[in-house]
Amino acid sequence: MLTKLLNSFSKRLIWLITGTVLPMSFAFAAGPNLQLESANNNVRDVESLQRGAVHFANYCMACHSTKYMRYIRIARDLGWQDEEVIDKMTYGLALPVDDVITRIQEGVSQQVFGTEAPDLSLMARLKGTDYVYSFIRGYFEEEEGKWNNHVLAGTSMPNVLEGVKRHSTTEEYDQTTRDIANFLEYVAEPYKVKRWDLGWKVILFLLLLLILTYLLKKEYWRDIKH
Amino acid sequence: MSEQSTNSSAPAGGLLKWLDDRYPLISTWNEHVAQYYAPKNFNFWYFFGSLALLVLVNQFVTGIWLTMSYKPSAAEAFNSIEYIMRDVEWGWLIRYMHTTGASAFFIVVYLHMTRALLYGSYKQPRELVWLIGMLIFVVLMAEAFMGYMLPWGQMSYWGAQVIISLFSAIPLVGPDLALWIRGDYIISDATLNRFFALHVIALPLVLVILVFMHIVALHKVGSNNPDGIEIKKYKDVQGLPLDGIAFHPYYTVKDSFGAVFFMILFALVVFYLPEGGGYFIEAPNFEPADPLKTPDHIAPVWYFTPFYAILRAVPDKFFGVVAMGASIAVLFAMPWLDRCKVKSIRYRGYSYKLLLTMFLISFVVLGVLGALPSTPTYTKLAQIFTILYFAFFIILPFTSVNERTKPVPERTT
Repeated sequence: MLTKLLNSFSKRLIWLITGTVLPMSFAFAAGPNLQLESANNNVRDVESLQRGAVHFANYCMACHSTKYMRYIRIARDLGWQDEEVIDKMTYGLALPVDDVITRIQEGVSQQVFGTEAPDLSLMARLKGTDYVYSFIRGYFEEEEGKWNNHVLAGTSMPNVLEGVKRHSTTEEYDQTTRDIANFLEYVAEPYKVKRWDLGWKVILFLLLLLILTYLLKKEYWRDIKH
Repeated sequence: MSEQSTNSSAPAGGLLKWLDDRYPLISTWNEHVAQYYAPKNFNFWYFFGSLALLVLVNQFVTGIWLTMSYKPSAAEAFNSIEYIMRDVEWGWLIRYMHTTGASAFFIVVYLHMTRALLYGSYKQPRELVWLIGMLIFVVLMAEAFMGYMLPWGQMSYWGAQVIISLFSAIPLVGPDLALWIRGDYIISDATLNRFFALHVIALPLVLVILVFMHIVALHKVGSNNPDGIEIKKYKDVQGLPLDGIAFHPYYTVKDSFGAVFFMILFALVVFYLPEGGGYFIEAPNFEPADPLKTPDHIAPVWYFTPFYAILRAVPDKFFGVVAMGASIAVLFAMPWLDRCKVKSIRYRGYSYKLLLTMFLISFVVLGVLGALPSTPTYTKLAQIFTILYFAFFIILPFTSVNERTKPVPERTT
């Protein structure tokens, strides 16, 4: 077997590069990384996404937007009626077709926190879901009333989940933060689950086609003598 | 297979005859497909030509549909990409096919070029096939570079900033040249608009013409093969090469199999790994371009990293640009640098096997280094492998003259 895999120059070359040179280069390149907690979230978990959407509206939307998302899209994907999403996420203050935009007035964030709160539509793709999860959980009290963050030192964002942490069990707190991270992963790529669910069907079709094209090739090549 | 289907010179009549009387339909089909005789011993490496064509078609089709919703303006580009990803029907799939296609194009083309180096496909009489192919490669790099700017993300912006600033390293005309390319003092809306024009019409047009010429030149001289022998040397009574088989149906069915196999790998990436581990779509590109905020680490897309590593390996910026340019330009000279008469690696001496292995390893290692932030150790490594990269081209003309080759068979094996 091994000799068959190594019986020509080009095969040996492929094994040398993919088996030795590439892994060695990447092993060498692996540097120390920021330790992040694993979010262990599941974007297929619609209930978690529903809770995450409500938490997001309650704790994040005072400053943050997800401007590439509309309420109606969230409703369709998370199994809510149009009125439900408006009720749960905006207290009746927006239309289903509206973009998910923060309620804060322009310039206020700049005045109070010294910076504009970033749009969170793509944050989970920019930084990763684990980053989001670790960041919102990463606050610690440097001194009385002065908070800092392990993941992003010196962040301007206040510790908005402090109350949640204080008034809930560890499990509840884990679940709340996980739901928010999960919701942000969904928001970053709303079609993700659909993509996963379509992919294997496409590949299954192609595998069948592969068998057919192989048989066709074999049939045609029967009369070629080597 | 029966002979009758391939040898008919007079069409049956009807519409086909009407057309053939006015256009060389059947003779063109025969010359390039049905009666184009290719060596019967093509192996795995010979799939990549037709696969490159397949990817080209994929880029054209998905690209056309992307332009229907994309807005080439600094204010709207990023938003329009997210609009495609979220609101356009199947927009996410079309876009992932285009982004994956860009990386697939380079994977396929790099393997296609490796094939040429393995079996001496650049050698007499196929020098022009190689030169046209190299031109395709250069235009493809320009095409990919300009396409990468269009999403107007942070890496789009700063990657372009780094590459365009290279031109300013050229003495005397450099700064004005960079200004001329950008159409502005910084990369801006003007730059984006002209890159869009070049990406969607000018360069694709050049690519199609070059690909056409690449195939015409190939069909004039005939395909090489893993044995590196000329099949035209031995012909049957009809004047057909004994070791040749008609491209259609034999290679059309074989390439169909290869195409489907490739599509499975392609679909795996499109559906399950569209970001390619951060190499096909880089994470900073999920943030809109901000001329005031430089990303921590600017890395070009993976297919440029070997050349980028060579650029960074040279301490002086101008000579770095020269070295990077030379690393591509020197490939054009391959047909004349390699002076060995034997084409295929199967019958060549140890010197070429050793040199080629060294060259390909250098290329891969430089590719990895080019994607990493530069540190003193990495820079040292990049310098060593840059030297090895160029050593291939410098040593080859000397060793290839008197290479201790093996006897080459008369017929394909």
